[in-house]
Amino acid sequence: MAMMNGREYIESLRTMNPDVYFFGQKIKNIVDEPMFQPHIHTAAMTYELAHRPEYEEIMTATSHLTGEKINRFTHIHQSVDDLVKKVRMMRLLGQKTGTCFQRCVGLDGLNGIYVTTYDIDQKYGTNYHERFKNWLTEVQKNDWMPSGAMTDARGDRSLRPHQQKNKDTYLHIKERLDDGIIVSGVKAHITGAINSHEILTMPTRTMGEGDKEFALSFAIPSDTKGITFVFSRQTNDTRRLDSPLDAGNPKYGIVGGEAIIIFKDVFVPKERVFMAGEYDFTTELVETFAGYHRSNYGGCKVGLADVVIGGSYWTADAHGISKASHIIDKLTDMIAMAETCWSCTLACSYEGYKTPSGAYHINPLLANVVKLNITRMVYEWMRLAQDIAGGKIITLPSEKDLENPDIGKTIEECFVGKEGFSTSDIIKMLRLIENMSVGAGLPEAMHGAGSPAAQKIMIARRSGINRKMELAKTVAGLNKDKYFESIIGMDENSHWDEVKKKIKGKKVQIY
Amino acid sequence: MYSIGLRYCGGCNPQIDRSKVIKKLKEDFKKIGMEVDFTTDRQREVDILILVNGCMHACLEEEYVGKKHNSQVIVVKGEMVDNQYVKEGHIPEFLSKKIIDLRNFSSHSRCLPSLCDI
Repeated sequence: MAMMNGREYIESLRTMNPDVYFFGQKIKNIVDEPMFQPHIHTAAMTYELAHRPEYEEIMTATSHLTGEKINRFTHIHQSVDDLVKKVRMMRLLGQKTGTCFQRCVGLDGLNGIYVTTYDIDQKYGTNYHERFKNWLTEVQKNDWMPSGAMTDARGDRSLRPHQQKNKDTYLHIKERLDDGIIVSGVKAHITGAINSHEILTMPTRTMGEGDKEFALSFAIPSDTKGITFVFSRQTNDTRRLDSPLDAGNPKYGIVGGEAIIIFKDVFVPKERVFMAGEYDFTTELVETFAGYHRSNYGGCKVGLADVVIGGSYWTADAHGISKASHIIDKLTDMIAMAETCWSCTLACSYEGYKTPSGAYHINPLLANVVKLNITRMVYEWMRLAQDIAGGKIITLPSEKDLENPDIGKTIEECFVGKEGFSTSDIIKMLRLIENMSVGAGLPEAMHGAGSPAAQKIMIARRSGINRKMELAKTVAGLNKDKYFESIIGMDENSHWDEVKKKIKGKKVQIY
Repeated sequence: MYSIGLRYCGGCNPQIDRSKVIKKLKEDFKKIGMEVDFTTDRQREVDILILVNGCMHACLEEEYVGKKHNSQVIVVKGEMVDNQYVKEGHIPEFLSKKIIDLRNFSSHSRCLPSLCDI
């Protein structure tokens, strides 16, 4: 089967029948509901661009399993070049949609599980890696979008999973059968869940021996019996029911259409199970996935920055203030921050390495640095966007009032800008800036792929602080400096004795 | 004499102390009485080439791995040797074992001392 385009992807969702709840109602058809359409369109963009020659180079890859051309979102990274192309793809899609395009979680899950199942098999003689490759071949062949379901509901976070009063706060194995496992539990806020073909689960944290039944990874079609989705509310989400003008980003929505996934006695066939109790590999899987996922943010959020920077400049121009020095200064700051994050994500990709599985992984220290910078800088560049756009972004009238025959004309005349800029266009752009800078997008940048504390833990762990101390000790003279002694041709103490003698004996010019 | 070529990466920000690892390797071979000529592959052909990369990025790998060589190549990349994770303190011992195994399969007929003699 060839790669799907955007339209084909949307039509493929019609063949599925996931159990979705929203606003207290069971949804009969997610594809045609305006509440879900924007983020479905966004995911569709990941399919659409793969068919465009001008984007093919980064949107597609050659499968190392089949030799066929595939969408890069189903690819296992085979080189540093693949890692770099992945983040280029993230930036591109951020630029095209102005929001989260959801499919990268599944991509990072594919790569994380590929790396880890190989290592599990090496230690335990299991065949998870082969099973995973078989399922992955189907993913590539069918061009499926798996959602990456890692985060559990988690309950009381001071307790381990097996200590929770309600075990379902973490997805776990309820029963082991000869031909598979029965699982139950809740995964919370999974991106793109209701418009994914498959669910790919991973453990959310390091598990101990007592947590064996929670050390779990598998893949299952999204409409499997026993799986229920509860779609999440987000800031200003029902604006898309009011009018396109009020919605801000009516085509592509806000963030990634997250949902809670409830698993109740779901049967998973053996061939789709990729971890079932090997708790000593949960850290590796979590950190490998997290590394890949955190590296994305220097691509996707920078793509969003490109949009909001462009929108801010357009707005300033529409109001006749684009040449003001403070506007240029703010835009420059926004660009500098965005490109700083871009540089960091390129660095973590170019510094990538080959794992024993053959797949390439990013530099984990730099990936966490990328994400930590994003958690701060996104807030700052969105603050500057709001600063440039003005308070109007939160006080604009609705489209209905604009269309009202009694007051609409007056509003149109008030909101007019520079010659050549229509009121309707100005409001559209201001609404876009509101959509991107006020609301769900900011916490997503903060917490997606792990909260700042998680990044700091990883950075501290990989800091190489002991080595840095040795560097300082050598330069300060606490350690022997063999390179310095080679330069001066003697040991350091003798050198300083000589220098002191020369100064004392006034045998030098300045003493 | 059995020859081992050493190539070091640029050492910009190593995760391991590359010199220390090789120094220990040399000491281990001395202890077991194995005569080894440590040199570089630039000077002459060697039996085994060790690429000593300070981190997993392994800058030297592109130049060497996958290309035709007359020497066997072992790649140290931070706390990984070829495709196995190895903690820094165990790298010299891991390398010694690997070199002796490769040596035993080569055309040299001399009987080698065992690592248990270290």
